[in-house]
Amino acid sequence: MFPYDGPMTTGLYPASLPRRAWALAVRWALAWWRIIDLGAVVLVLLLSPSSYRPAARERLARRMLADTAPILLGFTALAALLSLVITHIVVVTALSYGLTRYALEMVIRVLVLELIPLTAALFVAMRTTIPSGVQLARLRQTGRLQALRERGADPVRMELLPRVLAGVHASITLAALSCAVALVMAYLGVYGFNTAGLPAYTRMFGQVFTPSITLVFALKTLLFSLAVALIPMASGLYPPHPGAAQDQTGQGGLARMFAVLLLIEAVSLMGNYY
Amino acid sequence: MNEPLPSPAPEELLRPVAHLRLKAAALLLLTLALIVGSALYLLYARGAFEPTQPLVLTTDDSEGVSVGMDMTFSGFPIGRVRRIELAGDGNVRILVDVAQRDAHWLRESSVFTLVRGLVGGTAIKAYSGVLTDPPLAAGAERPVLRGDATAEIPQLMATARQLLDNLQQLTAQESALGATLAQVRQLSERMNAPGGALGVLMGNEADARKVLQTLERTNQLLARIDAMAARADRQVFGAAGAPGLVPELRAAVVQMNGLLQDARQSLLRVDAVLAEAQAVGANAREATTDLGALRAQVEASLRKVDGLVNEINRKWPFARETELQLP
Repeated sequence: MFPYDGPMTTGLYPASLPRRAWALAVRWALAWWRIIDLGAVVLVLLLSPSSYRPAARERLARRMLADTAPILLGFTALAALLSLVITHIVVVTALSYGLTRYALEMVIRVLVLELIPLTAALFVAMRTTIPSGVQLARLRQTGRLQALRERGADPVRMELLPRVLAGVHASITLAALSCAVALVMAYLGVYGFNTAGLPAYTRMFGQVFTPSITLVFALKTLLFSLAVALIPMASGLYPPHPGAAQDQTGQGGLARMFAVLLLIEAVSLMGNYY
Repeated sequence: MNEPLPSPAPEELLRPVAHLRLKAAALLLLTLALIVGSALYLLYARGAFEPTQPLVLTTDDSEGVSVGMDMTFSGFPIGRVRRIELAGDGNVRILVDVAQRDAHWLRESSVFTLVRGLVGGTAIKAYSGVLTDPPLAAGAERPVLRGDATAEIPQLMATARQLLDNLQQLTAQESALGATLAQVRQLSERMNAPGGALGVLMGNEADARKVLQTLERTNQLLARIDAMAARADRQVFGAAGAPGLVPELRAAVVQMNGLLQDARQSLLRVDAVLAEAQAVGANAREATTDLGALRAQVEASLRKVDGLVNEINRKWPFARETELQLP
């Protein structure tokens, strides 16, 4: 069932450097190709109405609830604390330099635009999607996926799609909620418990979120959620490449996910500030 | 690898969640509400729901002006820049959306400035001096005055450098100020020395001594004048023994008064004499009138006497021949 013979023999004879480099490149390309391929498949399934039939909806709802609800409160509290502390630090520092006019804008830019979406994505990855990927890998290893396939069902639709959708949903919900909480906390940290600064705060918020920055922010959040939901699943669904003995725990998938997050963040920064 | 008894996945053991559909729907709704709410708040913050009126500001340099920046009135944002465009004449047209509820602050006489500070961005400010002027019409075009704090820095630096140069010249070792200070020190030393300020004023010590002598002699003179004044006082107002000048003067005045009285009486008498003299004069005048007649009579008598004499002379035999006889 599992082709273990080939790699065992190559492991016995140390390969030459070009051969090893080639094997590495093939592994690397294959892994990325699987992610892209799975992404396309998932997107097609997301857009097709048959994925939302009652039976699938049931699975989806359960998965979504299980993935989002437990971490929602905890992460919201964490985001509130984080934004309160950062707001306080920035405002106090700005006060000592006489730059309080720019402090709030900086807080919103740093917190809401950059820090919170990334933190939310990482949090979802650690609490939800990486465990889901591991689950999927275990299902594959125990032969359940194969069994599904033999019964004529599509394991991608049965097991993977609900997990990906739940991950995307968790990531977006957490990002949106924590951004709202961060906005409220930043306001409270600067103005305290009154509504006197609300017009100025709203105006400043409007000035920070220009259409282009809003678009970049929305795209970034969406791509973060997709990356976080999809990449651990891809490494869980497919068997590790025969040549990579250390890839069994999904470390390669994790590294790829971080690389994609970093890339999205870098592109969004370039889009915002260049 | 081939496990004979595949252990079921952990989620297979979970019991069905109560009200799963409801909870899932609530969660989805929460996400949707968050996203829609954020979008609405963003639209509100960017002024999408606020009626505005356009205002066009023209300037020759739009540096620092960005789309979305505020236009303030008394520090309150009342409008935001919607567009910046280059006009046909090379000027910059800044299109500002002014919120209609704040538009009444802008009047026909309002002035707009574009101020660039040292720290922070450019600010567009509106000033309305006369709030009773007619309100600014929608779409009005106004020039904007530019004030640039950074443009004055080079000029300021040049002036400051000049000032520092002058200061350096002033405080140099051989400067006029240094020499003056040295002389002032010399002066103060001389002032502290015996002779002091007087010596400084007179130049040398001999003259200073002369001044001192003059002062002493003036002092003596003053003492003598004092004594003289006392003596004069005594003489004028009298002392214990001898009556002074003033009492004598007073007696003389009393006597003078008596004399004047006498003189007045004498004058009265003279007055009477004069009246009599007047009467005499009158009489004399009358007498003079009679004298005229008398004189006429005397003249007539004389003329008669003269005629008589002439007669006698003619008749008188030994009268002298008065006529010359021609042969």
